[in-house]
Amino acid sequence: MAEFEPKIVAFLCNWCAYRGADLAGTSRFHYPPNVRVIRLMCSGSIDPVYVLQALLSGADGVLIGGCHLGNCHYQDGNYKAMRRVEVLKNILRQVGIDQERVWLRWIDASEGGLFSQTIQQMVDELRTKGPNPMRKPWQVWQETMGCQMPGIEAKPKKEKVA
Amino acid sequence: MKVEAVLKVEKGDILGASRDFLAKLLTQGLVDYLLVPLEISHGRTLAQTLVQDPAYLDKANPFSAVLPVSSASIVSQLTIDHPGKKLGAVMKPCEIRALVELVKLGQASLENVTIIGTDCLGTYEVEDYAKLIDKMKGTAGKKGARVLDDMRQSIAEPDAKPLPISLRPACRMCNSFTPLLADITLGLFGMQDGVFVSLESELAEKLGLEVKKAPDRQPAIDRLLDSRTKAREQVFTEFRGKMETIVDFADCLDTCIMCYACSSACPLCYCRVCFFRTDTFEPESERYYRWAEREGALRMPTEILLYHLTRLNHVAISCCGCGMCESACPRKLPLTTIFQTVGDGLQKALNYVPGRSLEEAIPLATVPEVKV
Repeated sequence: MAEFEPKIVAFLCNWCAYRGADLAGTSRFHYPPNVRVIRLMCSGSIDPVYVLQALLSGADGVLIGGCHLGNCHYQDGNYKAMRRVEVLKNILRQVGIDQERVWLRWIDASEGGLFSQTIQQMVDELRTKGPNPMRKPWQVWQETMGCQMPGIEAKPKKEKVA
Repeated sequence: MKVEAVLKVEKGDILGASRDFLAKLLTQGLVDYLLVPLEISHGRTLAQTLVQDPAYLDKANPFSAVLPVSSASIVSQLTIDHPGKKLGAVMKPCEIRALVELVKLGQASLENVTIIGTDCLGTYEVEDYAKLIDKMKGTAGKKGARVLDDMRQSIAEPDAKPLPISLRPACRMCNSFTPLLADITLGLFGMQDGVFVSLESELAEKLGLEVKKAPDRQPAIDRLLDSRTKAREQVFTEFRGKMETIVDFADCLDTCIMCYACSSACPLCYCRVCFFRTDTFEPESERYYRWAEREGALRMPTEILLYHLTRLNHVAISCCGCGMCESACPRKLPLTTIFQTVGDGLQKALNYVPGRSLEEAIPLATVPEVKV
């Protein structure tokens, strides 16, 4: 079987991280082709719904790239992103979704090298983690016990294979 | 300065005494309108009613044991464009907490609003309350008061006098049943005879209330708090013990029909048009076939997990535990458990208590202090 290739969705801010990615390209820095970039005007403009949609549609990792703290083009958008991601990760952790699949990184327009390193690092880590269980959504629903139906008791759960 | 007073209750008629008090607020011109639960359908249920004429207060029940709609949403509707009316809103503690959150979110205003907070003995599901009333014999008008009496006795002696039907899940685990932020508080806990009132001394003077130290209510409140906290912790531990993988979360939601009733009922889901009712994530039909082709099988509708997780992200930080979501859910999904447990974890992590203060900003709306 072919080696597992993680899929990464990257939301990059127009002013820093996206330009950093651009610079990585023009500077001929190599990085794995596992990333799909979506350009945003600001990392602060990302609603968690888009990150969740990516994860629940089977993306193995989501990268949110913004300006370094203090450098936001819109004063404090990256601080807002930080809070939202903090909340999102807390919630993911509490409902049994691997929060380590969501990365928030500050990458400047001049840091093409850092962008390529970040992607390389993320791909390596996701490779050790293995595929996102939501890659197979039908299996997730197959495993549920239907215990929310009134009058129907949950069947004992199968032992989880470690 | 806040002072205490006790409303005299004759022949155990708590509601009568409270109604007289509310009527005085209107007749003395302290408020021009009063939002208060009024009995409708021959007392089988209650509805939030905007009362201008005090004569209508004969059906009022500020301690209503049923909560069909959170009045936080109604106060938002009544104040969002700053009408400048003097409104008195009779609200339960959870409704006040939600209102405070809505004010912080810019969705309601407390300008000219007098919050009359009431002690909450708990609430029944709407259908359970109607059943209770139907089972009772006697005058229709007195039944609401009897439900209240039974609840007070059950709180005083939980083992000897259990409730005939259990409370809503949210109320069973509620640990904040006395109003935190209210201009006027009407209290029942720890009162043998009489209704506890706490209000500004100026107001007490205008209403001609005799200022008097009320009996110590704390022991009664602490007793209930103790048992509720235990129930709450148990729900939390059970849920947290279960959540290992995404399957466990999906398990709680596997019969969701995507009716959006939870978001309609939630006082904090304030968007005029919900994201999920737009076509943002509704692709051209062709896509579904492609996904089915890729996976072999595609569960329809596709957005169940996304919807609930997004709602968690949007409101869990402010979740006040009113449980309107679960009461509205036709499939009775354990939404109170999910939102309260996840909300509790999140609120503790960010050191935020929803509805505690108007000055404390919602973490999502603040810029965290980080050294650059």
